[in-house]
Amino acid sequence: EDALLPAPQNISILSTNMKHFLTWSPVIIQGETVRYSVQFQGEYEREYANESWIPISECSLITGTVCNITEDISATVAYNLRVRADVGPRRSEWGTLKGLFNRVTTSLTPPLMKVIADGYHLLVELEDMGPAFQFRVLYWKKAQERRVQQKVVKEVRSVVHLDTMEAGAEYCVRAQTHVEAINRSSSFSQTQCVRAQGDKSMWL
Amino acid sequence: SGELYCSLLNPRNVRFESVNMKNVLHWSAPEGTGNGILYKVKYSVYGVGKWIRKPECRNINRTWCDLSSETSDYEEQYYASVKAFLNGMFSDWVETTRFNPLTDTKIDPPMLSVSSTEKSISIILTAPAKWKNSPEEESISLLQVYPGLQYNVSVLNKKTKKRWFFSISNHTLVVPWLEPGTAYCVSAQIHVTTPLLDSDFTKEHCIATLKDK
Amino acid sequence: TAGNRIFHFGACRVSMSMTEIRAGFTAIKANIQARDPIRTLSILSYPHSLHKVKSSDRCCITHHLFNFYVDRVFKHCKTEDSYVNRKISSIANSFLSVRRKLRQCNEHNQCMCGQESTEKFKQILANYEGLNVTSAAMKSLGELDILLDWME
Repeated sequence: EDALLPAPQNISILSTNMKHFLTWSPVIIQGETVRYSVQFQGEYEREYANESWIPISECSLITGTVCNITEDISATVAYNLRVRADVGPRRSEWGTLKGLFNRVTTSLTPPLMKVIADGYHLLVELEDMGPAFQFRVLYWKKAQERRVQQKVVKEVRSVVHLDTMEAGAEYCVRAQTHVEAINRSSSFSQTQCVRAQGDKSMWL
Repeated sequence: SGELYCSLLNPRNVRFESVNMKNVLHWSAPEGTGNGILYKVKYSVYGVGKWIRKPECRNINRTWCDLSSETSDYEEQYYASVKAFLNGMFSDWVETTRFNPLTDTKIDPPMLSVSSTEKSISIILTAPAKWKNSPEEESISLLQVYPGLQYNVSVLNKKTKKRWFFSISNHTLVVPWLEPGTAYCVSAQIHVTTPLLDSDFTKEHCIATLKDK
Repeated sequence: TAGNRIFHFGACRVSMSMTEIRAGFTAIKANIQARDPIRTLSILSYPHSLHKVKSSDRCCITHHLFNFYVDRVFKHCKTEDSYVNRKISSIANSFLSVRRKLRQCNEHNQCMCGQESTEKFKQILANYEGLNVTSAAMKSLGELDILLDWME
């Protein structure tokens, strides 16, 4: 009788900026193609639906050892995940993620940001990180760190207008992401400073 | 003896097309049929027992029927149905999917008015009004229907080719400290977050700041 | 975007986002509603629309409805379509986290149940129990936008 196929090991989650990936170590069977299938179980399935599991069709009988589970981890509750291997008619037991995964633990990186001075206008270009993200942008006139102003940018569309600047003055900007669904923010980006056109006398 | 059963092919693609809650039922003629086909229409409020005939859309040869008045309460949902007939033959009733005026309407772009001074441009935005039965009826802005309604405004400097974006909730925007004697093109769209509804952008309204005196 | 909103249920204020629930429902709305052939009955809005509920009763009705969907609806909505099942799971799990927020109101006694909301919820249960469980569950799921529109 064929030896039992070993269950996948080292099952873990890589989660950054609300993109979640399940990974595991390959099951090595000489001369054979091993395929894997992934299932998930949310708190609802555990508590109210007889601990049922739901297959992820995009990760059914795949040969890779990574599965993008972002679409299914779409609530801020604890999820269980499991993987099994198949070689022809042979099938392994399920390998289950150690501990539950909640997207609240995703790691949030500061946003890529480019600050632009266009005449007397202060503008910022932000990276589109997906619908879950908002940006908290802080800006101030150099040497007036106590008079920081804030703008929350909910939708990223290339260049966002922040404010008008005094002629010749230097303004500094930094930004962080915020994800309402998990009520967490990233650390701030590096500060970037730009100078408005013209010289100070323009304002007198 | 077998009764001769004459039936017509069904109307196709029966659906509501809705803009600013002007809700018009549309369909395509049964396949392969020529002229002379007539139609009748009925509608029902979801959850209420009866189908109601639309007299103005009885024995019509066009393939649309304006049901805006009958579906103007956007706290309700609706079905509509069409039957085709020709020379004593008739089709089945063919229904729409469930129609929710609040989420299934398309919103027109806002109305834009742009003026300029030497160094600034002023933009006034007006959200379209909800469809209404008659001119005398009081106008309801879609702003009242969708309290979370916002405007995304794009301002393009024609000289530098740089485009800036603004997201605003109120209906006026003044962009100061611009270059005199320069052309700027403005366009705007309506953005509703829940339910998620975006209008198209308006066509560009271009205006030049006045020349330096 | 998934922006939170402050929901006002009478005295209770809760910051939460319905965007993901709405996106999940929009993705399967046509599929689910097509499985409900009964046009003449509504679970949530028969005989009276949710919009008729007084402001002071809104919290209680919302709380009852979230429990109703979690306890009695989602589990009877399994379909043969894997994509639809995954979206239902997404909605159901999102309901759990929204319900957790609604409990804040209960804990601060801001979710009192008046006569009207009690009667209204009884009517909803009667509508539900008037059908076989799978039809009732599928119809309730197909009416999720009625609940969302009313809440928002």
